[in-house]
This record gives sequence, structure tokens and C-alpha cells, in this order.
Amino acid sequence: MGLIKIFTKAKCPKCPAAKEMGTELKKEGMPVLHYDLDTMDGLAEASFYSILSTPSIIIEDEEEREVVSWRGTVPTLQEVREYLLPLTPSLSPVLRRREG
Amino acid sequence: MATVIEMKGDYQPFKEEVETTDMALFVRTSDEAMLGWDRQRIVDALIRETYVDLDTAKEIAREVEELIATSKIKMITAPLIRELVDTKLIERGLEQARKMHTRLGMPLYDVDQLILHPNKENANVPHGPEATNLTLAERIKKEYALLSVFSQEIADAHMRGDLHLHDLGFIDRPYCSGQSLEYIKRFGLSLPNSIAMAKPAKHPEVLLAHMVKFAAALQSHFAGAIGWDSINLFFAPYLVGMSDRELEQLAQMMIFEFSQQAVARGGQAIFTDLNLYWEIPKHFENVPAIGPGGELTGKTYSDYSKESQRFAQALFDVYQEGDGSGRPFFFPKPLVHITEKFFQTPGHMDFLHHICEVASEKGNTYFVFDRGETAKISECCRLSFKLDQTDLEDAKQPWKMRYCALQNVTLNLPRIAYLAKGEDAQLFSNIAEFVEMAVKAHLEKKLFIEKLLSLGEKGPLALLAMNRDGSPYLRMPRASFLIGMVGLNELVQIHTGQEMHPSKQAFKFGLKVIAHMKLLVDRFSQRYGMRFVLEQTPAESTAYRFAKLDLKFHSPKSGHIVKGDISKGEVYYTNSTYLNNAAVLNPIERVRQEGLFHPLIEAGALTHIWLGEAKPSKSSLANFVMKTFRLTQNDQIAFSPEFTTCNRCNRTNRGLRSSCAYCGSQDVDGITRITGYFTKVSSWNKGKIGELRNRYRNQAFLKGENDESSGSASLEERPSALRV
Repeated sequence: MGLIKIFTKAKCPKCPAAKEMGTELKKEGMPVLHYDLDTMDGLAEASFYSILSTPSIIIEDEEEREVVSWRGTVPTLQEVREYLLPLTPSLSPVLRRREG
Repeated sequence: MATVIEMKGDYQPFKEEVETTDMALFVRTSDEAMLGWDRQRIVDALIRETYVDLDTAKEIAREVEELIATSKIKMITAPLIRELVDTKLIERGLEQARKMHTRLGMPLYDVDQLILHPNKENANVPHGPEATNLTLAERIKKEYALLSVFSQEIADAHMRGDLHLHDLGFIDRPYCSGQSLEYIKRFGLSLPNSIAMAKPAKHPEVLLAHMVKFAAALQSHFAGAIGWDSINLFFAPYLVGMSDRELEQLAQMMIFEFSQQAVARGGQAIFTDLNLYWEIPKHFENVPAIGPGGELTGKTYSDYSKESQRFAQALFDVYQEGDGSGRPFFFPKPLVHITEKFFQTPGHMDFLHHICEVASEKGNTYFVFDRGETAKISECCRLSFKLDQTDLEDAKQPWKMRYCALQNVTLNLPRIAYLAKGEDAQLFSNIAEFVEMAVKAHLEKKLFIEKLLSLGEKGPLALLAMNRDGSPYLRMPRASFLIGMVGLNELVQIHTGQEMHPSKQAFKFGLKVIAHMKLLVDRFSQRYGMRFVLEQTPAESTAYRFAKLDLKFHSPKSGHIVKGDISKGEVYYTNSTYLNNAAVLNPIERVRQEGLFHPLIEAGALTHIWLGEAKPSKSSLANFVMKTFRLTQNDQIAFSPEFTTCNRCNRTNRGLRSSCAYCGSQDVDGITRITGYFTKVSSWNKGKIGELRNRYRNQAFLKGENDESSGSASLEERPSALRV
């Protein structure tokens, strides 16, 4: 199963939208991890992925390899789902239904 | 201090002092005089220098007199009397008074050693009378700093090796600086205390002479490096119409002048950095150019692109040739800024190949990566000042672009891990405590420097207080306060059981430590309205000092952790956030992984690529540089070849050898990069020698004529594919 990592900061105008998307995906059963760059753990994880702007979203495969990332922008739910489908076969029916 | 002054004011001589001083003894004073014994002098000194009351002072003087009288001593010196007085102060529990009464100096034995043997704390200091003067002065100022400038808490932390206060011997100066040639172009050379004032230069040779003299003056006011911004561009208005030959001659003069300035402070070459651009930096594009005589030329710097580029080329022609023996120039260091605009500027590939050829043959070139809108001035071993919006506003009047770092304090990260005993919470709390101590040390030094600066042009820092453009030369509000680190790799090793390079988890833990430090310094910056920033300290001697102290205080654990050879005393900790020098990593992977730390280290970071004997082609290095810019976050890289120079036949060949490849003489010196500069290996301290033995040189990777395929494959992998 894939993993979604969402990187945000407190003072960042587009970050609420990214967080909201994370909440939505979580409801759909996707493993979503939130990282706040104002904290030590968040900043360290962001550094590991060379994330220099917020919000950023990364989708990883099962082996923690980056499949796709959006840096400094928020994709649409539709775009995110397109990448998630092949990684999460078990959730495909749910995601497809929502797409429909 | 106020108490002392008051007591001095009320002081009246006592009759009994005169009456009882009847010993037939002479005291050898520090004023080169032999004075008759006078007990009153002890009383005077105690009243003047400490807070003890008159009765106690008289009592102590009497006791010391008795001691001397009964000891039948034949030669009394002022230092001896002072020591005896100090003993009496200790007997009375007057600890603070004893501290205030301290005599600073060195034992005879130490001075003897110092005069006879070279100082290995800084490989950039040669051995000679001037260097000895420097070291002697440094020793006294160091003691003064630890006793009088810093609080006991900070001084003790330094002595214990929890942290390292850099350049204590230069306590009355800021650490290092970034300069603008525009200042002397506009105002000429008019220095406080100078016996002659020079108007702005009219000719390039004169401008160079002004630059060199000003650099020497600055060297005596800063502890470390002097960096010059956009030097090829700022010279450009003076170079119009010059032939290639004339330009080459000027470039030669510049490099030789700075490399041979071993006549200044302590016989030490001026640590000079030349920041160079192929393009016209965006922030100077529309700035009116200053030309001969300090006059505006009526053009902007964009109009001097050709001259600026020709001069940069000429400088690298000289670097490629090397000195009279074909050795690389140790100074001045050329730092080429690689920016987005660099790649959009015609001719950049030819220039890139040229500077890569120099990097491969001589190692001089530093590649500084300014990605996106970043602009910076680099200096020292890796320090850089990132320009913010206000600085870029200043760029319209470039003579204002003068920056300094006031002090550098480095934390002993492995020490933090030994103390934490494997507890996460304890480790992060210790880091916070150590950072706070570094901040306190900065506040104390700032207070001291401000005191000196407040004396203005009549004070000891007259040069830095001079005001020619509406603000003092040293712009204190723009000063940075550096917090460095040594041994992140060992901290992680002690705490997690693994070094950073073989384990993704350990590597991520390293990032967490630096992220914690970064957030802490940001918080302190806000609290104090000062610019605290992390820096990869060069730590030429600190990595050695910390390792030695930890072997003493944290044995046996430290015996398994320090790097190098304990039996030879060649021990060290891995510098800053570097991966183990001995780790078998291909250079591209090292550049990428180490580069992940660089965005957190605002005041400068660098990755070394140890070439050994390898001499890669200019195209493979150019490829390496481009990929580093495009696909990593690395701030700066330098390729370091190794050389052997023969003291008999004066020829230089590649690689570190025990004898000359030409004449077979064993009277040879190795040359390579120690931290952020080249120097002779014979001048290195033991820790650095240990590191040199361990440095992994990936000869096979670098010797390839065309390693583009392997390079691109590794670099295009995403960070999640970190090889673990």
C-alpha cells in the first residue's frame, strides 16, 4: 500500500487546503502522515525529501520510494487518486466509486 | 569596577608602609626595572585591582613580606610576589579577588617550546618570530577572554570541551567578514591612524594595491577570513580596453599579491576569498557602475559583462598554471557562484569546463550553488552570508554590502550523546542546553565588542568604527552569530548504535538533531533580535580537541567512537554533519546525502570530494557540477587533489608520496586541502593527519574519462532510495 506524506507550516496560506485533503483521504482509508515543519520531526522529514516549500505532498510506494510529489502546490483530489489507485488495489472500489 | 575606582579615590598613604619596608631586596618588575622592596606596592595593587578592603590588603602585604624575609630568597620577581599574594587571597576564601588579581602569561618552558617548535593549531600560521609573537599574544588574550570577557559558566564549558569558543586569542575582534570592493573604489583608502590618505584609484593596478592594503588592515581587525564579493565584476569598469596580456598580468598580480602576503599578522597569509560570477548577478544588473577616480561611469554593471568575464577567465588561467613550482595557490580562494542565470549566460559551458579543468588539475575552484532567488557572499572555509530583501536593497549602493560574523561557537555533539545515555528526551534537552550556552557566549562577546566599538575612531577598533557613508564600517545590526557543530556522525553512532552512512534510520536521526538545532537558533534569534545561524564549523583543531577531551572524560565508551588511530594519538571526530570520511560511498551519493543537511545550515556548508591522485576530465567534472546544481540541495562542493612538492628540485607531482618522483629526494612536503583551504600536510595537527589517512578516495569512479552514465543514474534517484 502507498503512503501519503503531507508537509505544512502554521503560517502558510495554502496549507489548510492540503491538510483538508489529507483528512479526506484518511476518511477513505488511505495511510496519511502529517508533518509540521515548525516541529523537529516535521522539519527533519522535510529535509530528507528536500522539501523547501509548503504545502508539499509526497506519495510513496510500499518500499518508501517516492512515486510523485507536489511541492509548494496543492493538487486536486482527482490527481492524487490517480496515483493512489495502482498502489492501493484494496481501496480501488472505494476510490473508483468516489471518482464516479 | 566602580568600587575599585572609589577606593582608589579615597586612598591615603600610610606612614607604617614606609617605616617597615627595610628589606635589602630588589624586585624585578615587568617594567624592566629593579626596584627596592616596598610592601606598599602590594597594598596598592590589591586596592587597585580587586575589591578587598584596606585592612585585609595591608595584612596580606605584611604576611607576604614575612614569608619573603624568612625564605632567604635571592631573586624576587613581580610574578612571584603576585603568586604569593594570590595564595593569601585563597587562604582567606577571597576567590573573586584572586581571579581579579590574576597575572596572565606563560611559563618559561612553554615560551621556550613555542619559540623552538611550530604551532599546529592553525596550519595557516608558519613558524617564525612573527608567528611566535602572534601565538604569545593569542595566549594572553585567550586567558583574558576566559577570565574577563566570558562568565565562568561559559569559560568552564569551553575548558571542559562541551563547546569551543573559536579564536579566543582574537577576542577583541569580530570573527570574519564579507567585503565590497565598491567601498574603496568610492572612498579611496582613508584609514584611521594611517599617515597618508589615498583618493579613489584611477588605474586597475592602484585599485589592486588599495584592495591588498585594505585587506591587510582588515586582517588585523578580524580573526578570520576576508571575502570579496563579485570581484571580477567590480574590477570590470577599470578593465575597458585592456589587452589579454595586460589582463593576465593584472590577474597574476592579484593572485600572487594575496598568496604572498605572508608578511602581515603573524606571518600568516590573509585568508582571502574571491567571489566570482560568470553572469551579471541579478541584484547588480541595474546598479550604476563606479569607475576610475570613484566616479560613476554613466553605465550600469550589465554593460561590463565582457570585461567581467574576461577577468574571470584570466584569473583561472593563472590558477591553472600554479605558482613558480607548479603548486596550487593556497590563497586567494576562487569561489564561483553557479546560479540559474549562469546557465542562461552565453559562454557558460566553456567557462565551466575551464574552471573544472582547474579543479581537476589544481583543486582551487569552489563551486557555490545559489539556487532559485538565493544570493550570497561566501568566505572563510564555507561560511556564507545569504542576502535577504534588505541586503538586496543595499545592492543598489554596493559599498554598503559589508557583513560580518561576530563569533563562532561550536558544540561537541558526541559529548551530548555520552551524557544522554541513550535517552531520547535527555539528548534533545541536552542539545537545547548546549545551544543556549552558545547563545549566552555570543551575548557576552557582543557586549564586549560593543564596548570597544563605543570608543569610536579613538578606540581599538577605529577601523571598524570609521564612518564614511552614514554608518560605521562594521554594521553590527547585520552581524551573524555562528553556532557550529562537530561530530554529528558520532552523536548518532553513540545514541543509535549506527553511523549515518549505512543506515537510513540513523541518517534520519541525524537530520532530526540538526532540525532541532535549527528551530532552537531561530527561536533565540526571535527572542534576542539577533541573527543566530548554524554553520558547518571548519573545526580544523576542534574535531581533534573534542576527541582528545572525550577520551579523557568519557572513556571507555569514547575509545570505541573516536575516529583515527588512538595508539598514535591521531584522533578526531567527523566534522560537522559529514558522513564518515572513510565510508565507501561514490562521490555523487556523498554530495547528495550530505546536501540534505545544507538547507538547515544557513551560514554555509560544503562537501569535499577527495580526488587523491585521480585527475578526472573537465567534462566529467562539469557534468558532476551541473547535476549537483540541478538534482541536489548541496550548497557548495570542492574537489581536492593531492600533491607532493619537492624541497630539493622544487618540482611538484601528483599524489602524496614519501619521495620526489623526479629526483628521488625524501625532502618533500605533501599538499592537499585541510578543511576549506590547501596547505602543507607537515603543518597539520595529529587529528587531521588521522583524518587524512582515513579519507576515502574513489579513484575508480573519478578516474573514468566519462562517468556521466553512472553519475546521472545515481543522482536521479529520489531521496527515498537512499542506499542503506
